[in-house]
Amino acid sequence: MLDERHCAAPVASVRDLKVYFQSKRGIVHAVDGVSFDIRDGETLGLVGETGCGKSVTGRSFLRLLPVPPCILAGGSVTFHTHVVCKACAGVGCEACDGTGRQAGRDRSVDLLGISSEDMRRIRGDRIAMIFQDPGKALNPTLPIGAQIAEVFLQHRTEELIALAGLPPDTVGAIRRFASQSPRFGDGWLLSLPGPRRAQRLRVEESLAKMVADALAETQVPNPGKLMARYPHELSGGMRQRVMIAQALACNPDLLIADEPTTALDVTVEARILELIRNLQQRRKTSVLYISHDLSLVRRISDRVAVMYAGRIVEIGTTAEVFANPRHPYTRGLMAAVPGADTPRGKLAAIRGTVPELVDPPTACRFAGRCPHETGTCRSNDPVLEAITPSQSVACFIDHPAQSGERPTYERVTK
Amino acid sequence: MTDVQQSRIAAGAMTADTAFRVRMRRLFGVLQGMASNPATVIGLVIIALMLVMAIFAPWLLEPNSPDPYQMPRDWGAVRKPPGTPGHPLGTTNEGGDVLYGVIWGSRTSLQLSLMVVGSTMIVGTIVGSIAGLVGGWVDEVLMRLVDVFLSIPELIFALAIAAVLGPSFGNIILALAVVLWVKYARIMRAQVLQIKQHDFVDAARVIGDSKLNIYLRDILPNAVTPVTVQATLDMGNVVLIGATLSFIGLSEAGIAEWGVLVSEGQAGIASGRWWASTFPGLMIFLWALAFNLVGDGLRDALDPRTEGR
Repeated sequence: MLDERHCAAPVASVRDLKVYFQSKRGIVHAVDGVSFDIRDGETLGLVGETGCGKSVTGRSFLRLLPVPPCILAGGSVTFHTHVVCKACAGVGCEACDGTGRQAGRDRSVDLLGISSEDMRRIRGDRIAMIFQDPGKALNPTLPIGAQIAEVFLQHRTEELIALAGLPPDTVGAIRRFASQSPRFGDGWLLSLPGPRRAQRLRVEESLAKMVADALAETQVPNPGKLMARYPHELSGGMRQRVMIAQALACNPDLLIADEPTTALDVTVEARILELIRNLQQRRKTSVLYISHDLSLVRRISDRVAVMYAGRIVEIGTTAEVFANPRHPYTRGLMAAVPGADTPRGKLAAIRGTVPELVDPPTACRFAGRCPHETGTCRSNDPVLEAITPSQSVACFIDHPAQSGERPTYERVTK
Repeated sequence: MTDVQQSRIAAGAMTADTAFRVRMRRLFGVLQGMASNPATVIGLVIIALMLVMAIFAPWLLEPNSPDPYQMPRDWGAVRKPPGTPGHPLGTTNEGGDVLYGVIWGSRTSLQLSLMVVGSTMIVGTIVGSIAGLVGGWVDEVLMRLVDVFLSIPELIFALAIAAVLGPSFGNIILALAVVLWVKYARIMRAQVLQIKQHDFVDAARVIGDSKLNIYLRDILPNAVTPVTVQATLDMGNVVLIGATLSFIGLSEAGIAEWGVLVSEGQAGIASGRWWASTFPGLMIFLWALAFNLVGDGLRDALDPRTEGR
């Protein structure tokens, strides 16, 4: 299973991504040269502490960063779009060897370079996102059914028209209605008794059906009734299910999950994780799972990338990274997770604090907090390099060739 | 309820024009909140009575001149006290029937406040939205313009404009509109800037919504609350300022307007003819009071912190 994944083509490749922020004190290097791939169908966990740039990395996939103060300083995010198999609409069938995608119809786009109109077409359709706090990510003035319907109106107009039993060459007010681009007066045209009104009702019914189906996927009770509810009438777990239904409504290739369970309690968290996992496996969606919770990432991801101060310091398969963490920061993080057998009153914190990211010097970003630090760490910048075919680390301990001097783990025992 | 019916309801809830029905449910909740506040109810009752009076003015008191907004003059009955047959509230120095002025003045006031509040609300909302959404130098330019307007006291500014334009009721409307739109622009900009930061706006962008859709469906409905409250309060204030301008003589003389009537009657107060100023003055007071009560009640009812109380 794992070997197969290693050969799998990436669904998205981030190369040397640099995202800076303009601030009063100078330019903050929030993400500074990050490179990684998200492979087809995998879950990549992106872990790190608050402010290390993991959310910014996730958001740059959808260009969700406010351009001033944010500066896209360099690099690329290449996304390989797939064309969904027509026979099974992405669920996986014999015609497409269970991948849900039409072979040979892929093309690549640089998400940072395309026009905003092209970006809009990808958003919600090919790449979707789940937010941290579902209470804040739903519009309080619209029933949730209307909010899920929006995805279909934006990206599934053709299907909607077909499902309503209308000819594919339908034009005019009905098409504008089904693509949510009404013109002045359309409301009257579609409300007054007549054939247009009947057509509108059919489109509305199909829309309701699509929304109910999307909601049913997330195992909510009575989706038909739920649609007319407002977000404030639902519990946190329910809201997150609605968000997931909305995100997965169009069968995206890539799902960015930005700490989707942080705002939920532990029992709901487990169920939401289970849900994301099930849907992901069934639909072969790749997931970028952003979290600061190591034990959670260990449970759900195939590979893990550890970020520190705007850099990826270690990346590899979950099994390898957790069995054999190489970077001192990764080791520190894992030691800091209290287990059931941790003695009372003792928590192994990493000493020091995250450095200021304003004009960082050429040095290992972890220098100063690292227990194994040597002089070379202060003057040279380690590069992420492979130590096994499936694990890479940016530290001089494993890459002595990158510098003259070699720090070792032994120093820590003193 | 059958499943089919339920999905019909849900489908109905999803489109803009039928979401209206679902929204009515919310409106009902707000009305309930307002009904639980006695002061607001008093305000609503006064407004309702004023509206009835304005709507049924031609039936209450039939005009006998070609222009019903001109005070009819009964030169045979000048300076009559209240209770005079045919003139229940008395007459002015020039034989104008005070009751006629009070009743038809409610129409003038309604006209004034609706036109001023309507136009300033629309212009202010548009300007404020543009400033908040576009930001940058556009925001800077628009808001400095607003600052210039706000730096001059409302009444003085309106007075200056009306005086330059010449005495007429239409010019009072224009002057007030020019002065008052800035408040709405300010409020709207602040709202848009705040709502823009919300996750649900990002979430709408994430699903590929167009900018116009995000504005119309996510930002605007969440931003209108304070604008609505301000508009309600202004319905009263506008009449107050308008009456002030009329009183100074910036309106046509002789029209059925409360401010004009107060001004017409003020010369007689010293000689004991209190009625010509008092009744229209009372109307101005009630009108401004009622809208202020309702505006305050609306603000409380719409405030999410007081919701469910």
